[in-house]
Amino acid sequence: MDNLLQTELSVSELTGLIKQTLEQGFYGLKVSGEISNFRPSSTGHWFFTLKDASCSISAVMFKGSTWKVDFAPQEGDKVIVTGGLDVYGARGTYQLKCDSMEKAGFGQILAMLEMRKRQYAALGYFDEKNKKPIPKRPLRVGVVTSPTGAALQDILNILQRRAPSVDVLVLPATVQGESAAPSIANRIQQANNLLLCDVLIVGRGGGSIEDLLPFSEECVIKAIHESQIPIVSAVGHEIDWALSDFVADLRAPTPSAAAELVSQGYLDSRNQVGNLRTQLLKSMESRLALAESKLKRFDTKAMGMRIKNIINTKEYLLANATNNIVTAQNQLLKSYSGRAELAIRELQALSPLAILARGYAVVQNQEGRLVASKEQAVPGSLLTLTFTDGCRKTLVKE
Amino acid sequence: MSFETDISRIEEIAQKLNASDTSLEESIALFEEGMRLAKALEKALAEAKRSVEIVLGEDPREAEITPL
Repeated sequence: MDNLLQTELSVSELTGLIKQTLEQGFYGLKVSGEISNFRPSSTGHWFFTLKDASCSISAVMFKGSTWKVDFAPQEGDKVIVTGGLDVYGARGTYQLKCDSMEKAGFGQILAMLEMRKRQYAALGYFDEKNKKPIPKRPLRVGVVTSPTGAALQDILNILQRRAPSVDVLVLPATVQGESAAPSIANRIQQANNLLLCDVLIVGRGGGSIEDLLPFSEECVIKAIHESQIPIVSAVGHEIDWALSDFVADLRAPTPSAAAELVSQGYLDSRNQVGNLRTQLLKSMESRLALAESKLKRFDTKAMGMRIKNIINTKEYLLANATNNIVTAQNQLLKSYSGRAELAIRELQALSPLAILARGYAVVQNQEGRLVASKEQAVPGSLLTLTFTDGCRKTLVKE
Repeated sequence: MSFETDISRIEEIAQKLNASDTSLEESIALFEEGMRLAKALEKALAEAKRSVEIVLGEDPREAEITPL
C-alpha cells in the first residue's frame, strides 16, 4: 500500500484492490431505502435500486436469499436490507448484495402486536379453557370476509366439494383499511345477536402485514372473545398470523384450511359410514359362505343315494315278509288238505253206498219206508230195491 | 332421525352379524336394515342441497338475507 503511488497498476490490479477494499470493508450492513427500478430476473434473482431523497445504489438479491422474503417488493416500498458491498469488475461497478429484506416499520408493527398479544393473554383471552369446540357437522357455516375476495371463493368451493349439504351464509365485511376492523367486529356481533350460524369463519386471503392488521385490532379481538358461536380464524397464508388466531376457538392457516376444518366431520362421517357398509357386506358374505358350506353336506346327489339305500332296505324287508307269508299259507293248506283226505276216507267207510257196493240193497215199500223184516214184505206188494248203481222194482211172490 | 343413533345402530348390526348365535334369517333381515340405514346416511351426507346466502344490512340487530 505504501508504494502504491510509485507503482504502475493495470486496470485489473486496481479493480482487484478496490474489490478487496470495498468487500472487506463493507459487510454486515443494515441499509434502509426505497425500492425503485425493481427487476426480478427469470432465474429468480432480484435486481433493483435502493434510494433515498438524494442518493441511490444498485442492489441485487440472489435466488438463495429471495425465497426468505415473505412479501413481493413493489416499486416505492420502504425496506430495510442487510448485506455487503459487491464489486463487479467487468463493468467497474459496485452494488449492494442483500441477504435479507424486510419492510420498514415492520419492526414497530411486530413490537406493537407482541405487546397487545401479551396484554390480552394476561386478560385470559387466549386461554384454552375458553375455546369452544367446533361442531362436528355444522348445518350452517357463516363466513365473515370480503364478498369479492378469492378467500370466499376458496371456502365455497371446498365446502361444496366436501360437504355439499351444508348451508353457507356470507357476512360481507371490509377486510382492509381503516374501516375494516369495525366492519369485521360488527359482522361477528350480528351473527351472534341473530344466531345466524353454527360456526363462523373469520378471515381473508394473504397480504402485507399492514393488510392483515384489522384482524389484530382490539374491537375484533373483543368481538371474537365474546362470540357465543365458535369461530375459526383464517387470516392470510400459512406464515401470516393475526391476533384473531389466538383469541379464536381454532386457528386455520388459510381460508381454504378453515373450510376443510369445518367440513372435516362430514368427510369423517362419510368414511365411517362407508367403512361400516363394507363391514356389513363382509360379515354377510362370510355368514352366507358358512351357510353354504353347511348346505353342501346335503347336496342332491348324496341325498339321492341315501334315499335309495333306505328304499332298498325296505324293499328287501317287504320281499322277505311276503315270502314268509306265502310259505306259511302253503304249510297251512298242506296240513288242512291232509286232514281233509283222512276225513273223506272215514266218511267213505261209513257211507251206505259202500255197503251197497258189497252186494247189499236197500228195500223200500211203495210209501218209501224201509222194509227191514219179512212181515213188512207182504206177498203181492211192490217193493223198490236200491243198488249201488240204481233202483229196480220187484214183486213179492211168497 | 339422529346421525349418531343411526351410526350406533349400524355398528350394533355389524356386531350381531358377526355373532354366531344369530340365525341366518335374522342375519339377512339385519343386513337389509343396516344397508338401508347406511345408504340413507350416505345420501344425507353427500347430497348437494345447500343454499348460499348473503347478509345485506349492517344493523347488528337485524339482518336481511338474500341468496348470493
